Amino acid sequence: MPIHVLDPSNETSPPIGELAPRLNSLAGKTVGFISNGKEGSKGFFRHVERILREDYGVANIEMRVKSNFSAPADPHIAAEIPQWDAVITGLGD
Amino acid sequence: MTKNFVSAAELMSRVLGMPDYKFAIIDHPVSSANDEGLQKRAQTVIDALTDIILSDEAN
Amino acid sequence: MQLSSTIHEADDFDAIQELYHSHGWTDGLPIVPPTPEAVMACLEWSMLAPDHLIGVEPVRERPITAEKLATNAVMAGCLPMHFPVVVAAITAMLQPEFLIHGATASTGGCAVLLILNGPIRLELNTNSTFNALGSSDRATMVIGRALRLILINVLDVRPGEIDRSTIGHPGKISYCVAEDEEDSDWLSLAEQHDIPKDISAVTVLAAGAPRQIMNEWTTKPEEILETFAAEIRDNMRNYSIWPGNYAIVVPKQLREHLQAAKWSKQDIAEFIFKRARIHRREWADVGKGSVVRGRGDTEYAALESPDQLLIVAAGGPAGGFGAVIPPWLGPKSHAVTLPIGACLDCGPPLNREKIEN
Repeated sequence: MPIHVLDPSNETSPPIGELAPRLNSLAGKTVGFISNGKEGSKGFFRHVERILREDYGVANIEMRVKSNFSAPADPHIAAEIPQWDAVITGLGD
Repeated sequence: MTKNFVSAAELMSRVLGMPDYKFAIIDHPVSSANDEGLQKRAQTVIDALTDIILSDEAN
Repeated sequence: MQLSSTIHEADDFDAIQELYHSHGWTDGLPIVPPTPEAVMACLEWSMLAPDHLIGVEPVRERPITAEKLATNAVMAGCLPMHFPVVVAAITAMLQPEFLIHGATASTGGCAVLLILNGPIRLELNTNSTFNALGSSDRATMVIGRALRLILINVLDVRPGEIDRSTIGHPGKISYCVAEDEEDSDWLSLAEQHDIPKDISAVTVLAAGAPRQIMNEWTTKPEEILETFAAEIRDNMRNYSIWPGNYAIVVPKQLREHLQAAKWSKQDIAEFIFKRARIHRREWADVGKGSVVRGRGDTEYAALESPDQLLIVAAGGPAGGFGAVIPPWLGPKSHAVTLPIGACLDCGPPLNREKIEN
């Protein structure tokens, strides 16, 4: 006689995400950086900014650093994202 | 994502309902890279940018 | 009560083990088969409906139901009487200040230290003495294990997936201690949070591995506590300099000296607050000179205030050993203390016989 046992996993589906529309160009645009603030990130983003401005004509960079690198971006930072044309963030250390 | 966090990024993409989410992969770690290393990593990100952020028409 | 989890079938106990292991549903150890009857017994004991929402993990928006907690608690070896503690602990971990995603995903590899207070310790026959931080008793072992299985199965905190721990530590198997309230003059950890002595409570802390200290050569409180402070300073140099909820575990032999000198937990916390400090330049002594960066004179304290120190009376009757348990990473996660809200004084539900038959 088989034994019946319950599934211990969450069994709920995650919400479906949606991509923002892609850009036709970066020239004249505002790009936000959301940094985790970890060692090396300042220098890294400095180079990214330089290349974006020099090679792609990005007009404005908004640099934001999370208050806690082990948590999602602070709500006040996330609230700014719709004002930007693109955002660059990462995962790593 | 730094190389060593690629699987975490892929998992998060899946659990957030966007399994095909594209991201750039750079060398790990960043914390002990010198300025030349950081510049190389920045260039890697920019090179991937055109595919990720820009539309097919822009490319 | 209607359970909603998928029901799997297996021929026997061994087949169940392989089924759960192959799905990644275990911590590597054998599990107790979570039959519908066993899961219902936990829910009945706690008077929780299966679909009662304990909370939502905020980063990935995963709902956490009583049924899923009960399923994993049974797997861990919990009996119904252990389940209210599991519910309270998970509820505490879901408080925003605990930061459950960061604490469980980080490369820092912390575990969840669970401290029990109040009458529940006696009802569950916990052992606050010998081997307090090891496998001291059935209740603390299975409750601690349940927390980890819940993280694995309900929140997908698996090594290499959400769990990015580089090293981790054995507390990730089970890390639960009951405070010794009977053999101590001090206020319990829960009483320090204004929870009356006759109310049971849990405290959760995102914690590193315990660092054992030893001082059997003095009865002076300042000297005993200096050893604890020195271990904290070492942690600041070698692991993380940032302040947060350190915990210290003080066994009977050391407690007797402190309490004979009339030192309260407040006195101890103030002493540690003053003594557990280093200067940034000390990083250079441990191979971290590259990040001193001209700020060598900056002083760092292990605690932002004396209140951040958790002092736990526990440990066997002999031996001048104690433990320092560091926080995961400074103030990123805060310890959370909650009373246990389930009806612990109620007898088993009336229809229990029906379930057992």
